[in-house]
Amino acid sequence: MNILEVKDLRKRFGDTEVLKGIDLSLKKGEVLSIIGSSGGGKTTLLRCLNFLETANSGEILVNGKSVYLARDGEKPTVTLEAQLSFGLVFQQFNLFPQYSVIENLMLAPKLRADAKGNTERQEIYKDIRAHAEELLAKVGLTEKADAYPCQLSGGQQQRVAIARALMLSPEILCFDEPTSSLDPELTGEVLRVIRSLKDSERTMIIVTHEMEFAKHVSDKVIFIADGVIEEEGTPEELFENPKSEKTRTFLSAGKNDI
Amino acid sequence: MELFLDVCSKLGNGFVTALFLFIFTLLLALPLGLLMCFCTMSKFKPLSFLSKIIVWVLRGTPLMLQIFTIFYLPGILNLFVWPQMNTGWVWFDTTFSTRFIAALAAFAINYAAYFSEIYRGGIESISKGQYEAGQVLGLTKKQVFFKIILLQVIKRIIPPMSNEIITLIKDTSLANTIAVYELIFEAKEFMTVNGLIWPLFLAGAFYLIFVGILTVAFGKLEKKLDYFKA
Repeated sequence: MNILEVKDLRKRFGDTEVLKGIDLSLKKGEVLSIIGSSGGGKTTLLRCLNFLETANSGEILVNGKSVYLARDGEKPTVTLEAQLSFGLVFQQFNLFPQYSVIENLMLAPKLRADAKGNTERQEIYKDIRAHAEELLAKVGLTEKADAYPCQLSGGQQQRVAIARALMLSPEILCFDEPTSSLDPELTGEVLRVIRSLKDSERTMIIVTHEMEFAKHVSDKVIFIADGVIEEEGTPEELFENPKSEKTRTFLSAGKNDI
Repeated sequence: MELFLDVCSKLGNGFVTALFLFIFTLLLALPLGLLMCFCTMSKFKPLSFLSKIIVWVLRGTPLMLQIFTIFYLPGILNLFVWPQMNTGWVWFDTTFSTRFIAALAAFAINYAAYFSEIYRGGIESISKGQYEAGQVLGLTKKQVFFKIILLQVIKRIIPPMSNEIITLIKDTSLANTIAVYELIFEAKEFMTVNGLIWPLFLAGAFYLIFVGILTVAFGKLEKKLDYFKA
């Protein structure tokens, strides 16, 4: 069964149709990269999946269960469960500056535990802390647990953001250009973390401009242009042997500049 | 010497009244300002429009005029006349006279208007990404505001707030226009009755010292929130 299925997703901003009917599906453990030029709709698609934008129409299914079904003119409500099926790592990290690294990780799970009205709060907090420490170790930042975001480099902040997104164990982890606001020497550490997540079979959707990385890490690549999926396939198919003229132009644009 | 002590004791009383006016104004205006700010930022257009008009009037007319309006207008409109306090406890009756209450009301709403704009500036300066990060982590709007946004807003608004609060302590002197026995009122009494000017300067020293204390306190608060960048 597909872990994610998107059917005919459409999004308009005013008169501009940014997504003109997107269909895609993803199996558990697969990594999907979304490439395309700026303004093509990649980020909007990711934001619709994370309910930061309200898609005007279309359906989203997680594990075969419909979590979002919109027809024109209606705004469906998004359940907490649906929201938490997806995790998102932002281009700008968006860590909470007043909290230390470990507190950034623990905030949401703690609030969730509180909301459930658990009586053995201390026990649960202990579990949450253990989980947070485990994830920090995974992104290689154990020694930064008590540091504040302003004391970290961009690459470290992004690794914290990844760990924070993993705290709630989302079914699908999304990345919105995770290395675009990093200095070149810092992108490596973030990409390594993402690669290690692939090795642990995490389902991911990555919007990226790092073509080499997309080629190596993905099981599937889609090229979005003007709000539609222009081409999709395995990295080999798409990068080595693009069928669409637009894809070819896009992929060769970078090379011609040099 | 006796005169000096007399001046000091009267000014001391005046200062206490001014201090009460200051403290109660803050206690009322800080939350009221937040409420006004939410109204102004409301997506419900009539509410935000009305709120903007109110802020405009409150910031657009002299505070002294607002004090007069609140104190005299009810009488002129035949609604009510601010009655005399009469608990039989002289200190209480003179300190918290109904004149004091009227002045307090004027200060509270006037300062709430200024505070509301400071809050708005602070809230709007927080990046959208902070709200979005909260949302994707499954936090409710309320949790996002109280657990993530608020402290960042507080950090950012401390400098303009301390400015406004320092202005407030000196603005309490405007209450003398409706005969609230605050600091300037007491000092002026010595000028009109005894022909002395120096009690006014001494009153100035009271303000100066108090503002000095506030400045140090705000400096400490800023330091305390220095551990993060927002």
